[in-house]
Amino acid sequence: MATGAAARSFEAQERRFALTLVAPALVLLLVTTTAPLVYLLWTSLHRLDLGMPWLSGFAGLGNYAKMGSDPRFWNSLGLTAIYTISTVVAQVVLGLGVALLVLQIPKGQGLLRVAAILPIVLAPVVVGLFWRTLVLSPDVGLVDLVTRTLGLGSHNWLGDPQLALISVIAIHTWQWTPFAFLVLLASLATLPPDIYEAARLDRAGAWQRFRHITLPLLRPAIVVVVILRMMTALSAFAAIFAATGGGPGSATEILNLYAYRTSFSELNLGYGASLAVVLMAITLAISYVMFRLRRSRR
Amino acid sequence: MIVAKPHPIRAIAVPVLTGAALAIWAFPVLWALLTSFKTERDVLAYPPSLIFTPTLANYHDVLFGATSIVPNLWSSVIVAVGATFFTVVFAVPAAYALARLRYPAKRASGFYVLATQMLPPVGLIIPYYLVLQRVGGLDTYFGLILIDLTLTLPFAIWLMVSYFEDVPLEMEEAALLDRAGRFGALWHVILPQVRGGIAVTTIFVFLNTWNEFLFAVVIGGNRVRPVTVAMFNFMSVEQTQWARLAAGATLAMLPVILIGLFAQRHIVKGLTVGAVKGGGRR
Repeated sequence: MATGAAARSFEAQERRFALTLVAPALVLLLVTTTAPLVYLLWTSLHRLDLGMPWLSGFAGLGNYAKMGSDPRFWNSLGLTAIYTISTVVAQVVLGLGVALLVLQIPKGQGLLRVAAILPIVLAPVVVGLFWRTLVLSPDVGLVDLVTRTLGLGSHNWLGDPQLALISVIAIHTWQWTPFAFLVLLASLATLPPDIYEAARLDRAGAWQRFRHITLPLLRPAIVVVVILRMMTALSAFAAIFAATGGGPGSATEILNLYAYRTSFSELNLGYGASLAVVLMAITLAISYVMFRLRRSRR
Repeated sequence: MIVAKPHPIRAIAVPVLTGAALAIWAFPVLWALLTSFKTERDVLAYPPSLIFTPTLANYHDVLFGATSIVPNLWSSVIVAVGATFFTVVFAVPAAYALARLRYPAKRASGFYVLATQMLPPVGLIIPYYLVLQRVGGLDTYFGLILIDLTLTLPFAIWLMVSYFEDVPLEMEEAALLDRAGRFGALWHVILPQVRGGIAVTTIFVFLNTWNEFLFAVVIGGNRVRPVTVAMFNFMSVEQTQWARLAAGATLAMLPVILIGLFAQRHIVKGLTVGAVKGGGRR
């Protein structure tokens, strides 16, 4: 009996200790994330235009209804899909490709790891500015120097709508492929070598070994990379903002930028809030699907 | 992995392609560094000059000139150090409870932390702007550090959870038997075990807050203006002064580049800890 009571009091004590440790962080998160989220939802139900404050008031679902006939919204939604899918696919394919290559070189792996850290640690806004000036600028930019040397001519990489979209995708891919590379390289290093030995004795070719051994074993790591990279792509802002500002026109205006420009350039915070809510709903839906996918494959 | 007997095409292709990856990642950064030592005339020279007389004039300008970035560097230090301090102080205890202790609604609270990480920053900045504007919180360190916590705290908690999970249970039990008490065990036995994890968390949070732009450009102002915002403004004001831009950017990014180079192993570990572990725990 006495031990039972002691165990109970120990448990109660432990519970109190746990709550003392975890409660401050949870309260802080509640105040800094959940409360603003509620206020965002509330704002999205209002007309709140700092340029025309006299029109402010409750609008119900008016902001959401407005999106249906807003071509700029649909444009941004399409661009978000293109931007997210193309950057994530490019990062995973290139990152995995370079990781597989690096494993084949006897020396210089460390050098490549150091080089891979560089883009990751830079501020995206600085990356956007670098590319806008030193890399993509017509005539003197590095890329223009290369295309001119190759006889492909000089291009207005950020001024032409189609090239601008390709350029911002390239910028994002440049900055974040090293992340996929480093994670996948680390995962490749954990694969058991004896499976490959057995496969070789079975005379499996390099492609077969990749297709039937490496890829399935790497799958969980790839899924995690895809999830994390999608989150980054969906909330990409500073690099595009610095390189093109969403332009020319709205050629590189992904939903995130559209929500920002509506809120803080056009000062239409009500509509901007509803755009942010849509972006959030998309983000949550995608992460939910990805997590389900990850769990079901375990 | 096992290296097959080198095929002649492979013997050439592998070094060429890895060399290309190396160049593509490193060259733009080195090019910016090189540019920062050029005169504006050398920057626009065609073909680009690799050999030129280096000058420190750009650095002198961005440090001591009319648009000195020193106040901005200082601003960034306050924001990044402040946000990092509060993140670690709140995240470490919470992560320990999530990893090791039993309490009601533990799963739900863990999931809650994960969910807060999914909120897009642009969705947070709108309510923060409206509220801070009303209470005079715009252009204050308090406001910017507070919103930066939304970026760092959920991530830091989960990163620390994975480190606490690696501490051997016996160690904790031994400490408890010594009547060290719950808190004593945590402070004297467990925390020293996760020093590496705290270092990784600190590095990541510092990098993220130093590089943060969206919150800083909206919440900041004349007083609180981190280097990321200063670089952006510089570009819109003095569009053609690339050498000075490069010098400013070099100084602005020097702390994170140094951290990146010296803490490279830590960073790779931080990047992979979730990914590899999540994969390994099948």
